[in-house]
Amino acid sequence: MHNPFESDLEIAWCPGCGNFGILKALKEALFELGYKPQRVVLVSGIGQAAKLPHYLRVNVFNGLHGRSIPAAFAIKAANPELLVIAESGDGCMYGEGGNHLLHAIRRNPDITVIVHDNQVYGLTKGQASPTSEEGFVSKVQTLGALSSPFHPLSVAIAQDASFVARGFSGDIEGLKEILKKALSWKGFALVDVLQPCVTFNRVNTFGWYKERVYYLGEDHDPGNQIRAFEKSLEWGQKIPLGIFYMHPKPTYQEKFYAQVSQPHLLYRGPLPEEAVTRELQLLV
Amino acid sequence: MVDWTVKIGGAAGQGVQTVAEVLSLLLKRSGYYVFSLEDYQSRIRGGHTFTQIRLKDEPVWAARSALDLLVCLDQLTYELHRDEVKKGGLILGSFEAKAETGDRQLIRLDFEKEALQLGNRVFANMVAVGAISQILGLEPGIVEAHIEKVFAKKGVEVVEKNRAALRRGKEAVGIAPVLRSENPSRRDSGPQFLLDGNQALGLGALLAGCTFYSAYPMTPSTGIMNFLASRMKEYGVLVEQAEDEIAAINMAIGAAYAGARAMTGTSGGGFCLMVEGLGLAAMTEVPVVVVNGQRPGPSTGLPTRTSQADLHFVIHAGHDEFPRFVFAPRDPQDAINVVRRAFYLAEKYQVPAIILSDQYLADSKVSYRDIGIEKIPDDSTGVNVNADYGRYALTPSGVSPRAIPGKEALVVVDSDEHDECGHLTEDLTIRVKMHEKRMRKWEAMQREIRMPVFLEGKEATLVGWGSTWGILQEVRRELLQEGIEVGLVHFNELWPLPLGLREFLRSLPRPIVVENNYWGQLATLLEGEARVELATRITRYDGRPFLVDELCLRVKEVLQGA
Repeated sequence: MHNPFESDLEIAWCPGCGNFGILKALKEALFELGYKPQRVVLVSGIGQAAKLPHYLRVNVFNGLHGRSIPAAFAIKAANPELLVIAESGDGCMYGEGGNHLLHAIRRNPDITVIVHDNQVYGLTKGQASPTSEEGFVSKVQTLGALSSPFHPLSVAIAQDASFVARGFSGDIEGLKEILKKALSWKGFALVDVLQPCVTFNRVNTFGWYKERVYYLGEDHDPGNQIRAFEKSLEWGQKIPLGIFYMHPKPTYQEKFYAQVSQPHLLYRGPLPEEAVTRELQLLV
Repeated sequence: MVDWTVKIGGAAGQGVQTVAEVLSLLLKRSGYYVFSLEDYQSRIRGGHTFTQIRLKDEPVWAARSALDLLVCLDQLTYELHRDEVKKGGLILGSFEAKAETGDRQLIRLDFEKEALQLGNRVFANMVAVGAISQILGLEPGIVEAHIEKVFAKKGVEVVEKNRAALRRGKEAVGIAPVLRSENPSRRDSGPQFLLDGNQALGLGALLAGCTFYSAYPMTPSTGIMNFLASRMKEYGVLVEQAEDEIAAINMAIGAAYAGARAMTGTSGGGFCLMVEGLGLAAMTEVPVVVVNGQRPGPSTGLPTRTSQADLHFVIHAGHDEFPRFVFAPRDPQDAINVVRRAFYLAEKYQVPAIILSDQYLADSKVSYRDIGIEKIPDDSTGVNVNADYGRYALTPSGVSPRAIPGKEALVVVDSDEHDECGHLTEDLTIRVKMHEKRMRKWEAMQREIRMPVFLEGKEATLVGWGSTWGILQEVRRELLQEGIEVGLVHFNELWPLPLGLREFLRSLPRPIVVENNYWGQLATLLEGEARVELATRITRYDGRPFLVDELCLRVKEVLQGA
């Protein structure tokens, strides 16, 4: 059967880029979950990763660098019928937009955030990113990165994010399964995707990851925040993949719409005459 | 004719605003028109704050400097403001008098001490209201009915105690009313409505069908958020307190993309953070309304004071070129309609619309006999189109059919330069076409803009914009009474500038531009755009609004200097 999310737009990524795996996994996940493209909105920021929405047949909001999450939050709030996905690179989500990520976790909107985490800035040609290892050498970090890396999963779990997972773009099947769970999850879902940059990151290559990644086993209890946090700290010789943490809780939309009589925020016309009269009367 | 000015001063947290608010409502109920302005510091307790209420038995639009009654909740109020009290005026409250000349009546009354005798210092405000209403000759029935209404929810005991506090204040003053007591005819022609600029901006948005408001709290615009938040449940409006102004505007744009009518509000510093978002709205052609409640800067400046110095900024904010609307409401009533018009025009042309408010407009309360709700066409959001839809179809007007996601068509928008379908492109031929498409809207936008209000005058013409409307109107009237024939030109729609301004401005006798900024920003804007000379400017940038009597003097100085 034809996948309605397939698009024939020319792709501007480097040959062999880790982004291709994410694109394929996402397209298939959406298809297998039975979504119609019209119901899906992909929101992104700026960077190579942020071009992804253009390569699917979906609604696209390709906004500003770092600002995809506030826009995604509002799109979902305005029309809860839409499936809203924010996706971008690690510079966009963890650097420029880091603050928005923290506050989105607090709001718990029913959106999925997919981060292409390649530990390097691609489009600006090779600088360290928030997730680069300390000591990472680049044209800017000539002394090696002096800052330690940002730990997205640990931060998200510490903040009690509703759903926290890590995938690897080198395993499209595995990533697809994670994405399907994230997209079906009710609440804020963060999926950090390890994605080798074949042009600028000579350290964290496909080979480097393949030697290290493994999936969390049945013995991992994603309902246990402390254990999930512990697991999120594991990095180096062994890097865990899979769903680290799940905490079902009421979403922002549920809490808001439970208290108002309207099903959405879409334009309903100006206030009716009697409401205008009532409002003016309140100023008397 | 009654034309009284009452100033109530004290430390922040002492209840100046409470006393002023109750008093304004009582005056309105008693048939007086009121205009009240607030002056406060950026702190929660202590310092000095005051509210100045002018009451008249005909509509009143601005404040004067000389006081008929100064109400001191503390000693500092007395020291700072006693010289503003007219000869024959009154000073009421708790203060130690110093070397009074004797031409002012001093009524020393410690509101707090009286309240303590009633059992609790919380009643001090009500003792003050009672004392003031005795001096102003307000009918006791009206005052007590109001108290009952306000405190009814808190139970009979609270009502009774507040009533007792009122009476105590009334009796303790120990003088007969200075103003005439209740005049029934005044009430027949008196005001009905009392509102401030922030309430009006929020109400305008609500009436326009705004369903999404995201903002970061910032003086002086927070009141808009408070107003809309108080209506969330009833109307299904979402008010979200964003983590910063960048999030606020990106949220508003996201909501508008999805099909909501969305607005955000801030002050100059927050607007600085929103500027990239403004460009996003322009590039994606998503209509969004942004309120900038101006206060003095640069940077944090004077957080709680007023200013009109962001005009050039908001007109030019953002990199590259894009069309936008800029409005500046004249007073609260105008603000209701300006917001509604901003939503309508932002949507019609799919551009951002900016509303310039300021602390003076935001916090000043104005009373009206009637509030006119202008008829504004309703162009509903979201056309339903077929599947081969292109969000940025090239059209002669530059405005493309706007669909919202979730229906038949896929809606693709991009902050990058994009093709007709919204996909990013680096094809420079398409870039040129898209840029021209966006800019092409300008011509029709210009035709939408209304000419400024124009009142003729042979000797000179006052020129102003936004919140100075009430002041300039009163200054003109006062000068006319003195036989000085001054006209008035006043803008509330500023960008694009109305067409045909050059001829119009050249025809004006002796224009004098009056603005709350240093350069004379409207003046320089008009000079550049309409190629006229507007060298005579009266400016004020100390964070306070113009006052009628002071401005009259400055206009006369200018005229005499000629």
